[in-house]
Order: sequence, then C-alpha cells, then structure tokens
Amino acid sequence: MCMFLEVRNLSVDLGQFHLDNVSLNLEKNDYLVIIGPTGSGKSVLLETIAGFFSPDDGQIFLEGNEITNLTPENRGISIVYQDYVLFPHMNVFDNIAYGLKKKTNDKDIIESKVKNIAKLLKIDHLLHRNPETLSGGEKQRAAIARSLIVEPKILLMDEPFAALDVNTHSYLTSLIKNVIIQHQTTCIHVSHNFNDVYNLAEHVAVMKDGKILQQGTLHDVFSRPSHNYVADFVGVHNVFQGKIVAHDKSLLKIEISPELIIFSSDDFVHESKEVMVAIRPESIIFSNERFVSSVRNQLKGVVKNMFEVGHTVWIEVQVKDVMFKGVLTPNSCQSLEIKKEKEIYLSFKSLNVNLMDCYE
Amino acid sequence: MRSKLEIIFISISFIFTTFLFIIIGSLFVIPSPQGFVESLFSNEMMSALKITLSTSILAAFFVMLVAVPTAYSLSRYQFPLKSLVKSILDLPMAFPEIVLGIALLMILGDQFLGNFLESIGINIVFTTAGIIIAQFFVALPYAVRILYSTFNYVNPRFEFVSRSLGYGEFETFKNITLPLAKGGIFASSVVTLARCIGTFAAVLLVGGGTYLKTETLPIAIYYNLSLGNIDNAITAAILLVLISFVAIFVLEKYAYQNIEGMG
Repeated sequence: MCMFLEVRNLSVDLGQFHLDNVSLNLEKNDYLVIIGPTGSGKSVLLETIAGFFSPDDGQIFLEGNEITNLTPENRGISIVYQDYVLFPHMNVFDNIAYGLKKKTNDKDIIESKVKNIAKLLKIDHLLHRNPETLSGGEKQRAAIARSLIVEPKILLMDEPFAALDVNTHSYLTSLIKNVIIQHQTTCIHVSHNFNDVYNLAEHVAVMKDGKILQQGTLHDVFSRPSHNYVADFVGVHNVFQGKIVAHDKSLLKIEISPELIIFSSDDFVHESKEVMVAIRPESIIFSNERFVSSVRNQLKGVVKNMFEVGHTVWIEVQVKDVMFKGVLTPNSCQSLEIKKEKEIYLSFKSLNVNLMDCYE
Repeated sequence: MRSKLEIIFISISFIFTTFLFIIIGSLFVIPSPQGFVESLFSNEMMSALKITLSTSILAAFFVMLVAVPTAYSLSRYQFPLKSLVKSILDLPMAFPEIVLGIALLMILGDQFLGNFLESIGINIVFTTAGIIIAQFFVALPYAVRILYSTFNYVNPRFEFVSRSLGYGEFETFKNITLPLAKGGIFASSVVTLARCIGTFAAVLLVGGGTYLKTETLPIAIYYNLSLGNIDNAITAAILLVLISFVAIFVLEKYAYQNIEGMG
C-alpha cells in the first residue's frame, strides 16, 4: 500500500539552505512535527513539498501520484507561515475567502463557509477587520482558516506559533488540534518548541544540515534516538561514545571509558563496535546505598554540581571520568541529603540504555 | 530637551533647505509679471509645454510597461547573465545623458537601425518619436531601480500563499503582487514622468529641438537663454518647476500610503 505522501531522496540547493537526500513518509490524517536547529532546512523542505522550489534531485508522491514537477496551485497543499502573511490589502473575510473564490463563484457558499470556519477558530467577530489591527493569535487563526477552508490534502505549518506569547500559544495549540481533527487534515508542522511536539505530534522527524536524521513515533524519537545529535537535541543529555566489548544474548556490555562498563539490552544492530550511548536523565535513580534489584547498572559516583530548574533539581555525578546528569524533585534531593562532593549511587535499567549511530 | 547632535543635524537640514527654497523661489521674483504673462502665452511656450507633456506622458507609459516586468524578473527569478543585465540597466544613471543621446543618434541616424527604419518609411531622428525614445531610455533605469526595490520589499511568501491556495502565477501577480507594490509603482511612475519632462541633452540630440516642432521646455530654456530672451527662459523654467512640484506633491500624498504591510 502506498503512503499518502512520499518524499524520495529529495535534494535542493538554494545556496544558504539546502536539502540533502531527504526521504519522508506520511500517512493520511497523520500529524508530523519536524524539529531541528535554525538553518537545518525545515522550511525549505516544506516549501519544496508545496512546489515553490524545484528539487535538483528526488521525487515527491502524493496519493501515489508524482507531483515533483506540478505547479503549487495544482498540488492541493496549503501553507501557513510564522509571520501569518495575511494579505494587507484585504480584510479578514476576503483573506479567508481568497482560496475559496478560486473554486466557486457562489457568494452564499463562500459566505457560509467563511463564517463556519471563522466560528470554529473563534474569529467570526473579526471578519470585517483589517489584518493589521489583529493580535498575533488572531492573525494566525485567520491564516489557518484561510488555508483550511480550501480543504487541502496536506496542511504545511512553518513555525505557526513561534511569534506568539506562551498563553496564546497554549490556547491555539488545543484549538488548532481540534480543528485539524474535525477537518481530518494531514499536517506537517515545523517547530522549535517541544510543547508542539508533545501536544500535537503523532510522528516526529529531526532535521540537521539539510538531512532527516530520524523519523518515527514520538516515543521512538524521544526514547530511542538513533543518532547522538538527535539524543542531544531531544534532551537526553547523557550521550557518550562507547565500544561494545561483549555480547551475551540480549545483553550488550559497553565500555564508555577505560574503567567504566555499562549494560544495555537495546536491540541495536550495527557492524561497527563503536556506538553512541544515550541515557535519559529521568531514567536514572539515585540512592545513598547499593540495593538488590533487577537493575543491571548500579554505579557509584560523586556529586559534582547541582542546580534548580523550575520545580526540578538537576545533578551532575562523576563516575570514574564520566559525568552523568540526572533529575529529581527538591523533596527527593532533600531526603537523600544530596550535596556537592557526596558519594551517591546511580541505577538505571539496561533497557533504558539506548545505542545509536554516531553522527558527526 | 533636544540633544546637541539633534540640533546640529536639524539646523543643517533647515539651512540648506532654505537656500534651495530661495534659489528656486528667485525664479518667481526675477521676471516682470508682464513679461512672464507674454512669454507664457507665446506660441513657442504653449507648443513647448504641449510637446513636453505629450511626449513625456507617452514615454513614461512605455517605460512603466517595460520596467514592471523587467524589475520583477530581476527581483524574483534567477537567469543567466542577470548581474550583467542589472549593470547595463544601471549604466545610463552613471554617465551624462548626452552620452546616451549621441549613442541613440548614432544608431537611429544615418547608420544601422536608422537606415533600415528609413527604408520602411519610419523617421525617428528629429521627430517627436525621437523625443519619446530619448526620454524612454533616459528614464527607464530609474524606473527599474525603484521597482526592483519595491518588488524586493514585497515578501515572496504572499505569492507562495496565493499559489498554494490555487492561483496561477499571472493571477497571483495581478491579485497580490501588483496591489502590494502599488505604492512603489506609483512612485516610480511619478519619478519616471518627472525624468522624462526634465530630459534635455538626449532629447536635444535625438529630437533636434526644432522650433514649434520638437522643442521641449528644457530646450526652450537653453535656446532662449542663448538668444538673451531671459523672460522666456525663466517662464519655461517656472513651468518646469510647477510641473515638478505637482508631481512631487502627488507622490508625497499618495505613493507611500500603501507601503506599510508589504513586508
């Protein structure tokens, strides 16, 4: 069965920005969030899928049909930008109705559809207004209404909430989620914000330097990053270079420093013995004494640093010559009497030790 | 409380604007009112005014017809020799217009294109058509330069969104780009018209400056000054100042109204 959207080995060179052999798959009604640092090519990818740039190489298929050389107006793909891009010479009604007017001349249908979508996005009282007089959140809702009203096959959103304040962002996230579910729209959403990923994404792709490093479910990408850069980007923090020194059934013995061996039960398969090791800070349990359990990795270290971030305390513990980072609540910190230079035990399951490719 | 820098800068702007105003205003004081009225309604002045306005309006129209697509293509598209095209278009702004006049006279005169045009019964040199062509080439680079900046200022994402909503390239250009660029297009039209009206050397060489036939207002100033008819020369100058004033006034009033929101 073919995918709804299939991007195959896409390469684009725009000088400052480029895409390098990008492949991407999307099922109907899927919500994909693409994350990555500034300049990684996320926007270029969206704009190439929309047809604004011609790829130097590669193909794009939509519903099984190749659209690589189709003009943007014939693709049925709408786009929403961070800076809204509402036409300043039209009022909100005309902005929303713009795409619809291309499809029908029936004024009643246009008016009814515009009013419906405006009501859904709670901007029905703003239809007569000039876009310049709207707040950021209102402008973005108008821009989304304008894109959704034409019932696109895919809605592309390029950091749509980036220019909004925290409260508006949070309000719009839930509002947009409902509207997109109601419209059964397939979405690709580029974002810097992990809240967008947690709240909206069904699938996540991580981009860097014009390449997609990993695409998968939210759980896969955040729990089992396949590249050290992805691990670092999604906040794994404990990422070390290691070497597989022994392989016993499902258990791998990994040397992360000459004096430090840890165990992993990751099903990672790689020809090389050199691997990257990732352990999420929240997977590490701290204790004052060694305890008997099924946990494979129990290491003794010394607290080197601790700092509060919001309602959490982050601590850095040196084990041999390797620094581990963990997170706990202030209460746990207090009850364990954690302080600098105190000896402490770190425990983490071999299941939580992820192995991945090394990305330079 | 104004800072010292503010006071110095404002003072400089006031002092030199006052000088400029006095210089322009002197034109209106020097001639005798009777001499001015007589000159204004003379055959020569009426003819020069008519020729200047009619040729300039036509030339400005043709300039805009060419400058809009030229500037848009330079702003939006990548094509071979783009930098060279831009440089060639800028070139006439860098050298005196008399150089362009000689070049036009050479190509439209007894050689090259001129011979061919003459063989099919078209005479350009020393006719009003020659004036229009001279004005066209003198004003074109200025129009392209302003429109190029204007189109660069229109965010291409407006066009991207329009295309993604089902509109083709031409419809998008008509519905989105042109309305968003209308301030710049208007400004460019006014500057082009003013440039056409004020063109002297190129128009003199290609148009010939024939009395009552191809004599424009700037040429009228030159001829009358050469012959010692100061009243006529000053009257022509006043007419040019008044026309320019109206053009600038209209430009200031309307051209910048639609600039906001383009980015």
